[in-house]
Amino acid sequence: MSDAERLLVVEDLATTFETATGPLAAVGGVSLTLDKNETLGIVGESGSGKTVLARTIMGLQPRTNVTVTGSVLLNGHQMVGVSEAEKRKYWGTEVAMVFQDPMTSLNPVMRVGRQIDEALRVRLGMSKEDARARAVELLELVGIPSPQRRYRAYPGQLSGGMRQRVVIATALACSPQLLMADEPTTGLDVTIQAQILNLIDELKERLHMSVVLITHDLGVVATRTSRIIVMYAGRVVETGSTRDIFHGHRMPYTRALLESSPKVTSPSHTRLSAIPGRPPNLSRLPAGCSFAPRCAYATARCHEERPELRAAGPGHDFACWNPLAATGARPA
Amino acid sequence: MLKYVARRLSIMVGIVFVISIGSFYLLHLLPGDPASVILGLGNTPAARAALYHQLGLDKPVYDQYFIWIGHILSGHLGDSFISHTSIASTIRAALPIDLELIGLSQVLAFGVAIPMAMRSARKPDGALDRLLGAGSFTLLSIPPFIIIVLLVLLFSIKWGIPNTGPASYVSFTTDWIANLESLALPAFTLAIGSFVVYYRVLRSDLISTLQEEFITMARSKGLSQRRIMWIHAFRPSSVALCGTAGVNIGGLLAGGFVVQYLLQIPGLGYTLIAAINTSDYLLVQDIVLVVSVGVVLINFFFDFTVNLIDPRISRE
Amino acid sequence: MSEIAGAELLFEDPVKRDRLGPLFWICLGWLGLNVFGAIFANVLPLHDPLYGDFNTINAHPSLHHLFGTDDLGRDIFSRVVYGSRISIAVGTGAMVIGFGVGAPLGMLAAYRRGRFDSILTAFMYILLAFPAIVAVIAVLSFWTPRSMFKIIIVIGLASIPLVYRVIRTATMAVATKDYIVAAKVQGATDRRILMKELLPNIAPIGISFLLIGIATVVTLEGALAFLGLSVNPPTPSWGNMINEARTVLAQNPWLVFFPSLALCLFLLCLNFIGDRLRSHFDVTEAKL
Repeated sequence: MSDAERLLVVEDLATTFETATGPLAAVGGVSLTLDKNETLGIVGESGSGKTVLARTIMGLQPRTNVTVTGSVLLNGHQMVGVSEAEKRKYWGTEVAMVFQDPMTSLNPVMRVGRQIDEALRVRLGMSKEDARARAVELLELVGIPSPQRRYRAYPGQLSGGMRQRVVIATALACSPQLLMADEPTTGLDVTIQAQILNLIDELKERLHMSVVLITHDLGVVATRTSRIIVMYAGRVVETGSTRDIFHGHRMPYTRALLESSPKVTSPSHTRLSAIPGRPPNLSRLPAGCSFAPRCAYATARCHEERPELRAAGPGHDFACWNPLAATGARPA
Repeated sequence: MLKYVARRLSIMVGIVFVISIGSFYLLHLLPGDPASVILGLGNTPAARAALYHQLGLDKPVYDQYFIWIGHILSGHLGDSFISHTSIASTIRAALPIDLELIGLSQVLAFGVAIPMAMRSARKPDGALDRLLGAGSFTLLSIPPFIIIVLLVLLFSIKWGIPNTGPASYVSFTTDWIANLESLALPAFTLAIGSFVVYYRVLRSDLISTLQEEFITMARSKGLSQRRIMWIHAFRPSSVALCGTAGVNIGGLLAGGFVVQYLLQIPGLGYTLIAAINTSDYLLVQDIVLVVSVGVVLINFFFDFTVNLIDPRISRE
Repeated sequence: MSEIAGAELLFEDPVKRDRLGPLFWICLGWLGLNVFGAIFANVLPLHDPLYGDFNTINAHPSLHHLFGTDDLGRDIFSRVVYGSRISIAVGTGAMVIGFGVGAPLGMLAAYRRGRFDSILTAFMYILLAFPAIVAVIAVLSFWTPRSMFKIIIVIGLASIPLVYRVIRTATMAVATKDYIVAAKVQGATDRRILMKELLPNIAPIGISFLLIGIATVVTLEGALAFLGLSVNPPTPSWGNMINEARTVLAQNPWLVFFPSLALCLFLLCLNFIGDRLRSHFDVTEAKL
């Protein structure tokens, strides 16, 4: 499949912020692709640059004091280095985003129904009545009971889970082909998390969308994604199919991430294994591999030279000088 | 909502009531003797006693108060002791002038402050923002009476534009062009002070609102910058602006008199000063009451508007 | 974008405060100069502000008369310097009264809450609803003969409710914070909490408001002068000088220019310093 036919092609994308203390490379040289009807997971700790990556891919980075280099082709349209007006054409209609905290991502003084049909009226030119009908349909689609009544509600009158459903409905209003879900469940109760994630899965099937699922929680991506990208300090450190990442990972950081999530099956009173140390200061990155200071397997070379991505197998790349041994990976 | 309005109204009535007591007693506590002013040279003890009796000033103070309040509530504002004209008609003639003056100045102030604040908030620390920031700061430090003197010097004396000098006020019904000309300079002067305050408050609130997540989300829906600014950002940011407007406009009603006095525009402020100068106590009392009621009403109106903007407040 | 700066950044770098800047010190210096002139006017080599030489009326600025002379032949420069006394005295005097009464009451009310607070605050809010300026004018008109002392008292008293409200609001914002509760639980006496915890946190806002208050009072004195309610001539004050200058605007523009300039510069410096102090101490403003 050629680049132009893929849904999303990102090449060497880098985002740098101008701060009072100098330039800060939040994202450095990330490349990825996404096809139709695929779900990609982007995993990393806080500070790994995953949110900045998501926003930059969409073109939503702040307008001032930011430099973006590289290329992002969304359905063949370039999103880097173009004017805001250019990018705006595709926002909502081809790509949409679901944000982390539904309390802050909805306008608190505007009724939720209006926030949904705003997109329909402004972007699709629907009439007031048509837009309202469609908005109610969308509310129903995302599983909100009594959608007619809820249409007139203010965000503050809804529970966290319902608010996030509204956010999803708003994102889907103009039927985008790509949905970027940035930590969609992090701000919600654990019991609601699964509901929302299942909802996203359903909608993806029903509406033939692709989804990029961004999270720090590996449990979220385990069963819902076909491919995963692991990020650390603004760079991709491992990428591959979900199976490869979970069962055939090579980069020690990936293992550390996997091991630090508590498992239901562990015996009780098992100590949580945390990754020692702290994520690095992005404006003062160490020479060599960014993870080296915290890595149990770091060698001298790791501290001096930064590893580039190399292939471990088809569609499976990692960046490490001293990778874990290749396990007997089950055939794909 | 209704409960809220009812509660506020009753508080307002209470406040106005207390203010009426306050203004009444204030004037009675002041040194100065109405009798000597009225009687002039014929100020003999007998004449004074007769006058007091006639004016009801020999009754105990609280009696006088209730009589006065009774008159007010039944619509009798009485006649001024000094000019012997109906106080109600005096106030009725003067009040619309204040309203017109304040109205013009606020249209000007908001009309410039809102777009400028929006532009500055879109590019904080940009050239326009810095210019307006420094400029508004400087304007803040120039008292209105200096501004009006300079303006009169420039427009009336130097450039000889008609109807802009002192004592050139013409009522709206007589000649609306001359009316606007005569109010232009004072309205502009009052507008400057208001503009500075509105601009700074709105700019600051807009900047912090624009950093909120729901603005990014609105952006991600593909909405235009203009729509985001006016429909999404402006409303939550205008809460403080409304509160400020209430205080500011109330202040103009109570304090815009210097400008009126200088240009001899016969609004309430000017009338009040004249009344004080002629020791016309009853008129002073009544004007103070009218102004206080006005200020309270204005504050109530703007507080109410704040509620419309941000329904979260009334729910608390 | 909070995930960009890692936790490390906040722990390592010291909090960067907004620098005061050279302009701040220039303004402070100018204010100091004004105050110096006001205090030591008597011993400075100035012309007698009340003596009018009728041979040199409306003179242009010259070496002999730095700012020229007015229509009675009095030296404008020395009148401006002497005039600063009134403005500065009224400004600071009124604020001393306003803060001296309003601030402690406000702090106490906000800290103690309860019946004391409810009654006092209700009382103050009613006072605030009354148009204070009108009261000031009325009182000053009728309380003759006028003196600077009376002006200071009247304006000072009128400013108490506003100071009370501002300080009370500021104190409430701080007093509800957890570290105050923590101090209480540790057994600190009220006085200790007030002095050591609350006061330093309110001081920036308080000082800023104080400076703005002085500026407002100085402006008010000017406005009162225009109504003939400030100090009586021939005592010079910036306000009444500008007022008197109106009649001879065409013949002697210097008479309006110099006191206006002095007044505006004074206000500008006050406002600037107040604003700078506020942003310097407001560490919470997002500067990243």
